[in-house]
Amino acid sequence: MNRPLAWIAALALVAALPWIDLLLPPYWRLGGDVGPILELAIAALGLNLLVGNAGLLNLGSAAFVAVGAYAFSILTTVVYPFQIGFAGGAIGAMAVSALVGAVIAAPTLRLRGDYLAIVTLGFGEIAKDLVTNLDVITSGAEGLTLEPASGARAWLWPYYLALAILAVLVVALTNLDRSRFGRALAAVREDELAASASGVPARRAKLWAFLGCAALCGLYGALYANRLRFSGLPTNYDFQLSLVILSAVILGGMGSIPGVIIGAFIIGGLNSIVLAKVGDLLVRLGLPNDSNSLASPTNWKFLIFGLCLILMMRFRPGGLVPARRVAPAPRASGDGGAHGAA
Amino acid sequence: MALLEVDALTVRFGGLTAVDRVGFSVDEGQIVSLIGPNGAGKTTLFNAVTAVHPASSGRVRFAGQDLRAPLSFGAMARILLMALGVGALVQVCSDIEGLWQVAVVDRFDYGQQAWAVRDAWHAAVRHLRAQGPWPALVGGMVGAAAAFNAWRTGRLQPLRARRLGIARTFQNIRLFSELSVIDNVLVGLAGAPYGPLAALLRLPRWRRGETAMRIRARDLLAFVGLERFADVPAGGLPYGHQRRLEIARALAGDPRLLLLDEPAAGMNPAEGADLIELIRAIRARGVTVLLIEHHMNVVMGISDRVVVLDHGVRIAEGDPKTVSCDPKVIEAYLGKEEA
Amino acid sequence: MDGWLILQLLIEGLSYGMIIALIALGYTMVYGVVELINFAHGDLFMLGCYAALTLVGGLGLATATPATLWWALPLIAIACAAFGALINLGVERVVYRPLRGAPKVTVLVTAIGLSFVFINLGLFWGGAPMEVFGGGRAPSSPKDFPNLIGDTTVYDGVVRIALKDVLVVAVTVPLLIALTWLVKGTSLGRAMRAVAQAPTAARLMGVDVDRVIAITFAVGGALAGIAAVVYGLYITSVSFDMGFRMGLYAFTAAVLGGIGNLPGAVLGGLVIGVARSFSDVFLPTEWTNAIIFLVLILLLVFRPTGLLGSTAREKV
Repeated sequence: MNRPLAWIAALALVAALPWIDLLLPPYWRLGGDVGPILELAIAALGLNLLVGNAGLLNLGSAAFVAVGAYAFSILTTVVYPFQIGFAGGAIGAMAVSALVGAVIAAPTLRLRGDYLAIVTLGFGEIAKDLVTNLDVITSGAEGLTLEPASGARAWLWPYYLALAILAVLVVALTNLDRSRFGRALAAVREDELAASASGVPARRAKLWAFLGCAALCGLYGALYANRLRFSGLPTNYDFQLSLVILSAVILGGMGSIPGVIIGAFIIGGLNSIVLAKVGDLLVRLGLPNDSNSLASPTNWKFLIFGLCLILMMRFRPGGLVPARRVAPAPRASGDGGAHGAA
Repeated sequence: MALLEVDALTVRFGGLTAVDRVGFSVDEGQIVSLIGPNGAGKTTLFNAVTAVHPASSGRVRFAGQDLRAPLSFGAMARILLMALGVGALVQVCSDIEGLWQVAVVDRFDYGQQAWAVRDAWHAAVRHLRAQGPWPALVGGMVGAAAAFNAWRTGRLQPLRARRLGIARTFQNIRLFSELSVIDNVLVGLAGAPYGPLAALLRLPRWRRGETAMRIRARDLLAFVGLERFADVPAGGLPYGHQRRLEIARALAGDPRLLLLDEPAAGMNPAEGADLIELIRAIRARGVTVLLIEHHMNVVMGISDRVVVLDHGVRIAEGDPKTVSCDPKVIEAYLGKEEA
Repeated sequence: MDGWLILQLLIEGLSYGMIIALIALGYTMVYGVVELINFAHGDLFMLGCYAALTLVGGLGLATATPATLWWALPLIAIACAAFGALINLGVERVVYRPLRGAPKVTVLVTAIGLSFVFINLGLFWGGAPMEVFGGGRAPSSPKDFPNLIGDTTVYDGVVRIALKDVLVVAVTVPLLIALTWLVKGTSLGRAMRAVAQAPTAARLMGVDVDRVIAITFAVGGALAGIAAVVYGLYITSVSFDMGFRMGLYAFTAAVLGGIGNLPGAVLGGLVIGVARSFSDVFLPTEWTNAIIFLVLILLLVFRPTGLLGSTAREKV
C-alpha cells in the first residue's frame, strides 16, 4: 500500500472516531479516551527526536511535560493576571520548556550516553521537587485550576486540536528526516567523532534535538493541562510518565515516525483504555476493583511496561515498525511533494 | 608556501611520549607519505593534526592559520552573553518565590485589582535590587567560566580542522554504517544550500538544494567508483569499497588537504594499483594528500616526499629514493645489523 | 553553632551513609565488571526488604527475646543475601546474558524495564496475607518493619550513639574489607578484573567470562539482600516504591566515589549520608532530594570519574 494513502486513511479514521463513537453501545464508547493518546503521540515524537534520531536516551521527559503544563496553567489561569489564552499559553509553554531544556542540555550533552540518561533522570526528580516546593507560584501539592470547560462533548476541541498538531508534526518531522539536518543527526548517532570530522557540528545538532524534545514535551504538557483544565499534581509528572513516553518510542521503533505513533497508541491505549475497560469489566462482574485489590488492572501496569521494555530490547530492539535508515531519494521533480514516497 | 606546517609537535599519553617534537611541512599540491614501523606514532600524529586528540605541546599551522581557533570577537561576545544570561537567570531564580509574590500575587490579589504591568515591573526591579548584586555576580562568573571553558575545549575540535580544510579517513573505518552510501557522502558535503525552515516545510529551496547536493554526491561516488552502490547501507559494502567511500565522504567537504590513514590496508595488489590512480586523481583535483601507508609499492609509486617516524621521532625526510636508502630507515624497519 | 550538634549530625549521617554504601557496593561491583548501570539494583534491594519482612513475620520474631534475635538476625541476613543472589543470578542468566555485546543504552533500557517488573512484584508481595504486611489489605501502603533492635544507645552523653549505628558499621566495614580482598586477593577477583578490562582477551586466556559475570551479579544481589535487612532494622519502614529513590542515592554514591571503585562507593555513601543529615537540618527538608540529585548531576558533568576514579579516553 502507498504510504501517503495509509497516512490519510489513518487520519480520516481518527478524525471520524468521535462520530463513530456515538453509534457504539454506551459501554464500548471511548469518549475522551483517544485524545490523550494523540497527545502522548506528540510527546513521543518529541522524545523520538532525541532517542531515535540523535541516539540520546532521555529518562526525564516528564520534567518537560511538567514545565509545559505548569507554564501553560500559569499563563492562562484566572488566578494569575496573564490570561493570554490557549495559543499564547501553548507557545509560552513550549518556549519555557525549551529554555529549561537548554539550561540542562548545554552542560550535559558531552556526557556518555548512559551518564546522560542518569542526568536526565535526576533532573526529572528535581523538577518534580521544584514544582512541589515553589508553592507560591505553583500552588504546590494542590496544583493550579483553570476555568472549567462546559458542554457534554467538551473534549472534542482538544481532540481535534491534538489531531491537527499531530498531523502537522508528522509532516514536518518526516521532512526533517529527509533533509541535511536529519542526516546530520543520524551521523551523530552513528559515530559522533566521524560526524564532526566530516563537518557536522555535533554538539549543536544534539542541542537542537534536545530543544525540540523539550518543546514538544512541553506542548504535550500544555495540551494535557488544557484538556484537564488543571495543571495536574506534581506527582503526575514522576518517572512513570517519562517511562510511558519512552515505552511508546521503544515499542514502536526508535527513529520511525509511524512506529512511534503506533507505539503511542498501544501504550496509551493500554494505559487509558484497556486497563480502564478491564477494570470496569471487573466491577460489572461484581469483583473488587480498587487500588487495594491485586486483581485491579492498574496494579499490573508496572509489570506490563517493564516486560514490554525487556522483551522489546531482547527480541526486537528496532521496535514494531523499525526505522528505515536507508532513505529513498526524493524524485527529481514533479511528484507533487508527497512525503515519504516509497 | 607550505600548506601544513607541523612544528615541534609532542603528544604524551601519561608517561608515554607517542610523538616527540616532530616537525615537517607539506606543500600545496604534493603527495607526502608518513611511514614508520607499527607504533611509531603515525596515527597519533594524524589525530593531533585533525584535532581528534590534542597535542601536549607544539604547533600545527594550516594555510597560515593556527589549528587552535583564536579568541575571536564572536567568541568573546558569546562568553559575555553567557555571563550576562546566567547572571540574570541566577539573580531572578535566587528568590523567585519572593519575586513572584511582590510582582504578581501582591499586585493582582486573585483578580481583586487590575494588574498594571509597569507597576509590577517596578516592584520586581525593586525586589531584585534589594537582593544585592551577589547572585548575579556569582552566576555571571560561573556563566563566563563555563563559556570560556567551552570555548577553550572547543577551539581544538575535529570540526575546526575540517572547517580549515583538513579532511581525513580513519585507520579502523568509521563510516555511518546504517546510512546509505550516498547519505554518507551527503553528510560530509560542504555548504548549506537551505535552512531549517525550508527543510521542515519542503520549500522549493529544499528541493533545489537537495537535488544539487545529490548531484555533487553522485559525482563524488562516481569519482571513487561507487555510484552503483549509492543506495545500499554503507555497512554492507566490502572492505575496499568502504575505504573508498570514506575517501569520498572526506572529499565532499572540499578539503585542501586530505589525510589518508592506511588507505591500502587489506587491499590486494590490483586494488592497490587502483588506489594509486585514485590518489593521483585526487591530487589532480587540487587536493594535497598526506598519507600513512605500509605498502611500500604504494608509497614509492606516488609520493613526492616521505617522512619517516620511529618511536615518535622523525628519523628521515626526503624524496622516496633517498629515504629508502637511508641507513637509519633501514635500521628502523629491519633492526640493527650485527656488525 | 553547637559543636555537639554537628557531631551528632555527623554520626547520624555516617550511619545512614553506611546503608547507602551497602547498596552502592552492589551497584559498583556489577558496574566495575560489566559496565552496566544495574538500574534494578535498588528495586532488588526493596524486594530484599520484603523478603526480610516476610521472614521476620513468618518466624514471629517481632515478639522474640534478644537471645533469639542474636542467632535469628544473622540467619535472616544470610537468607536474604541468598535470596538477592539467586534473583540476580536468574536475571543475569535470562535477561542480561542474551544482551551481551548489545549497545549500552539497550542494556540500560532493559535494566529499567526490570526495575519496573521488580516494583510490581513488590506491590503484589505487599498484598501478602500476613500480619506484618497489614493483613494484605493495602498492597501499596508502606509496611512497618518491627523495631527489633530497639532504640538502645551504647553511649548517651553529649552525643547519642545508638546500637543501630554500631550495627551498620559492624556490617558494612567487614563487608567492604571482604569484598576488597575478593577482588584484589583471590584468583576469582583477578578474573573479574580481567573481564572488566577486556572480556574478549580474558576469554582467550581461558577465563570463563559468563561464570565470572554471573558470580559478580550474585555478589551484587547478596549485598542488596544484606543491605535490605540492615535497612529494615534501621529505618523500620519499607515500601514497594522505595527502591527507585534508594537506588538513585546509591548510584550517586557509587559515582561520587568513582564507579567501579569499592572503597569509593563507601566513601560516596558516607558523603551522601552526611550531606543528607546536614541539609535536613540546615535547609528545608523538602529540598533534600533535589540537593542530592543536584550533586549527582554536577558530579556526572564535572567529575564523572568520581573522587577516587581515574580518567580514560576513547580509542580512535
